[in-house]
Amino acid sequence: MSTKEQEERVELLQGTLDLLILRTLQPGPTHGHAIAKAIELRSDDVLQVEEGSLYPALHRLIKRRWITVEAGTSENNRRAKFYRLTPKGRRQLQFETRKWDKLTGAIARILSPREQEGQP
Amino acid sequence: MTRRKRMLQELDEDIRDHLDRETQDNIERGMTPEEARYAALRKFGNVTRIKEETHEVWSFVWLEQLLRDIRLGLRMLRKSPGFTAVAILTLALGIGANTAIFSFIDAVLLRSIPVKDPRQLVVFNWSAHRKLDLHGHSDYGDCADQAGIGDCSFSIPFFKTVRTQSDSFSGVGAFAGPMDVDLSGNGAASMVRGLYVSGDFFSTLGVDTFIGRPLALSDDSPSAPPVIVLSYAYWVRAFGAAPSAVGRTVRLDSTTATIVGVADPNFTNLTPGKLLDFFMPFSLADTVRGESWRNQDLLSDPANWWVVILGRLKPGVSIGQAQAAATTIFRNEMLHGAPPFFKSEDAPALTLLPAQAGLNGESSHIAPALYVTMMIVAFILLIACANVAGLALARSAARRKEMAVRLALGAGRARIVRQLLTESILLSLVGGALGVLLAVWAVDAISKLLSNSPGAPFLTNVALDWRVLAFTIAITFATGMLFGLAPALRGSRVDLTPPLKESASSLSGTAGHTGRGFRPGDALVVAQVALSVVVLIGAGLLVRTLQNLRSIDPGFDPQNILLFGIDPSLAGYTDQQTQQLYDRLQQRFASLPGVESVSYSEDALLDGGWSAGSVHIEGAPPKQYANTGELPVGLNFFSTMRIPVLAGRDFTSADFAAAAATNAREKAREAAAEKVSPSASTPASPTALDDAYYHSMPVPLIINEAFARTYLTKQNPIGLQMSAAPRGEADAANPGPGYTIIGVVGDTKYAQLRRKTAPIIFLPLVSNEAHFELRAAASPTALVKNIREIVSQAGDNLPLTDVRTQTEQIDQILFQERLMARLSSFFGALALVLACIGLYGLLSYEVARRTRELGIRAALGAQRRDLLRLVLGQGVLLVLVGAAIGIAAALGVTRFISSMLYGLHANDPVTFAAVAILLTLVALAACYIPARRAMKVDPLVALRYE
Repeated sequence: MSTKEQEERVELLQGTLDLLILRTLQPGPTHGHAIAKAIELRSDDVLQVEEGSLYPALHRLIKRRWITVEAGTSENNRRAKFYRLTPKGRRQLQFETRKWDKLTGAIARILSPREQEGQP
Repeated sequence: MTRRKRMLQELDEDIRDHLDRETQDNIERGMTPEEARYAALRKFGNVTRIKEETHEVWSFVWLEQLLRDIRLGLRMLRKSPGFTAVAILTLALGIGANTAIFSFIDAVLLRSIPVKDPRQLVVFNWSAHRKLDLHGHSDYGDCADQAGIGDCSFSIPFFKTVRTQSDSFSGVGAFAGPMDVDLSGNGAASMVRGLYVSGDFFSTLGVDTFIGRPLALSDDSPSAPPVIVLSYAYWVRAFGAAPSAVGRTVRLDSTTATIVGVADPNFTNLTPGKLLDFFMPFSLADTVRGESWRNQDLLSDPANWWVVILGRLKPGVSIGQAQAAATTIFRNEMLHGAPPFFKSEDAPALTLLPAQAGLNGESSHIAPALYVTMMIVAFILLIACANVAGLALARSAARRKEMAVRLALGAGRARIVRQLLTESILLSLVGGALGVLLAVWAVDAISKLLSNSPGAPFLTNVALDWRVLAFTIAITFATGMLFGLAPALRGSRVDLTPPLKESASSLSGTAGHTGRGFRPGDALVVAQVALSVVVLIGAGLLVRTLQNLRSIDPGFDPQNILLFGIDPSLAGYTDQQTQQLYDRLQQRFASLPGVESVSYSEDALLDGGWSAGSVHIEGAPPKQYANTGELPVGLNFFSTMRIPVLAGRDFTSADFAAAAATNAREKAREAAAEKVSPSASTPASPTALDDAYYHSMPVPLIINEAFARTYLTKQNPIGLQMSAAPRGEADAANPGPGYTIIGVVGDTKYAQLRRKTAPIIFLPLVSNEAHFELRAAASPTALVKNIREIVSQAGDNLPLTDVRTQTEQIDQILFQERLMARLSSFFGALALVLACIGLYGLLSYEVARRTRELGIRAALGAQRRDLLRLVLGQGVLLVLVGAAIGIAAALGVTRFISSMLYGLHANDPVTFAAVAILLTLVALAACYIPARRAMKVDPLVALRYE
């Protein structure tokens, strides 16, 4: 299941897919395929989501009532499922984003001095 | 739930939509529709797994999967019923046997004695280089037999000295017994077991009463009213746990005593295996159950050693300090007391042992048997584990293809591992449940077995030990998991293609066509064979020991003899009345149809009981005594038992009359002496009674061949005079009438079959209880009814005790040997069967795996014989390696049971060889079945099978 080609890409950390989905849905409701494409595009193809794994994640968020799903028609008039952020999900997104910033900031602070030391 | 259902229904649609869009995108990028569809699917991942994962989001995954795993596991186990049955039975036997046996060991050997702070309680033991010269010396089997001279019996005066002089103890108590006492006044009279205890027994032990009061020091006084304390179990059994029992009076033999309390329920016994019904103070010793102490004063005579002394160490006093202090007292009493018992070169010494270790009683006899059994069942458990492991290994290897298919269909590795684990655990659970049933049954059965045999009236309360059960189940669980899981982990990591492409029966990846590496499966079979060889050899040794003991010639004819005991002293018979009763009974019994002859003796031969004494032989240097067994017998004893009279003559009625007269004079004299001076230690002046006694006829006696061989090599024994070893100064001055040897009879075993034939003197039985021997023409059991009638017609409602045939009696004596032989053969057979199943399983699997190879060989011209040899050779190699290891191990291990063996060495070559041959034959049979299957492999079928 894992090929060499994929090794250059970064696998998602546990739980971060949830955050990315929430963020992707912030501007407005959209369907599954579009969410996958958005994540791929916005990360300049670095983050490779196995597209299927999106669906268990979406259902996990639905179960937690952070998003809802509704039937709708897409841009080219096709019927599709649209996922929409709930107010609860919006709060969760803010919370998770702050947590992520803190985490990455802390990791960056730890990592950067070493980088400087390493330079001549 | 509805939300969950709706969500999942829409999931399919959603995924399809996603894939359509991706395909469309790909087409727009210029792919052909087919390529586009394929790329979309690849990018999406495993659809089934995604769906499953999404389902998991909505379900009680864990529980649902578990249920599914269990259902599947049960189905898989049902699919291979042979494997399942063998594995479950194996586990059940391993678990059940170990739990049962260990429960016994715990109850008998390990459970701490039911007193307060048992570590502080010590038991006194003495030792010396010379035997004691005492008026009475009784040992009720509380302590293990010591190697040299000495035991844990002391006199009451010494006990009192320790109590007053020692300051190492916060309390010192003593006990003796239990004695069989005739208790009446509460329904029908019955024999109960009463323990003599000192007044401070309860306080020293820290044992309280359930109701009423314990015995106290004041109860020790001779003038105190007779009181007893019941054991809790007896109170429940005989008084229905009625609180009103306290305060009631009962008759003990002929003394009336008041029940003052019921002991704590936990206080069942001190010495393991001894059953107690009640406790009575030493002050009753004069009136209740005088037994064979010949009117000696039990309470004040320092030469009557019969009580066990217990001390409770003061806080801060070590056992060594207490021992040093007590030894000083002991040496002082023994060397300088009145009378002195030892000289300093006899090195009398005292040892204090923790009561737990010191009071091991009967358990010291049965302990080796229990430990050996424990070892055997531990081996069985190991074999069982190896067996299950081997089966699991073979099965998991056979399921490689199934695993590969499941992985390919998208099953997660964790799921597969969990599935295999579930199967292992299911096996262990079912095996464990059966094991519990087996253990419960076995504990019950062994308890019954032991308590039904008067030879070992042993067990009080053996409960199933749940800790052991948990332990054994955990071991089997771990084994099941380890061996179920290891191949599962290995199997789930493999490259999927080979197992899918090749069939399961083709060659495995690791070992090539020719070289076949040594694998875990082989090791397990070798281990099983080796372990079962050890168990079988142990069983063989024990069975041959039993055979050897059975084939011993006891010196008399044990066939068609009925034995039973009668004790007229319970009904208050005098010696004369007893004598008349015995005469009358002997005549009545002899006139019964089918009875050839009748006699009686104080102990029945080979019933485990015996008496001994020392005599001085005429012509021997003064103070040189001959130790000999003593057995008082009735008229016609030797002809009834078919013991040959080798020289001289048998007893006649006249001999009995003479012995009775001497006995009567001796008793009269002792009774008179007692009246004059209650203390036996002061010599009384000779009286007319003494005179009559001293001038009595010497008592006629008969010796056995061993006595003549040991002590009378140079003399003609007939007519020789002997005298009993003197018991006091008066005796020493005038040894009394003594004995005359009138005959020599053939050697017989006396108490035990294992003991060497020893010197015995046979005396005319003129008082005391007796065991009757009836020789019948055929099986004597039909006579029992007539005998009971005759005895009850004789009046006084005398109970018959221990009715059994002489052969039953011998079986009883051999109880432990029979038990061990039976248990070990059973487990030996079990071990053999298990090892063969292991071997059979391994080879069957090998043959199935190599069907194609065998087919190719057959196609290339291999004869059936060659194929047979191929498979048989592999099996035989494993058996030989296992047997060699097993024999080497047995050589080292069997010496641990050498003390249980009789008539053969622990490394008996015959047994070893027999086991090796048996094992090889049975193993060959186990190999032959799969080998024949290999032989019948049709090359065409085998090759087309692909």
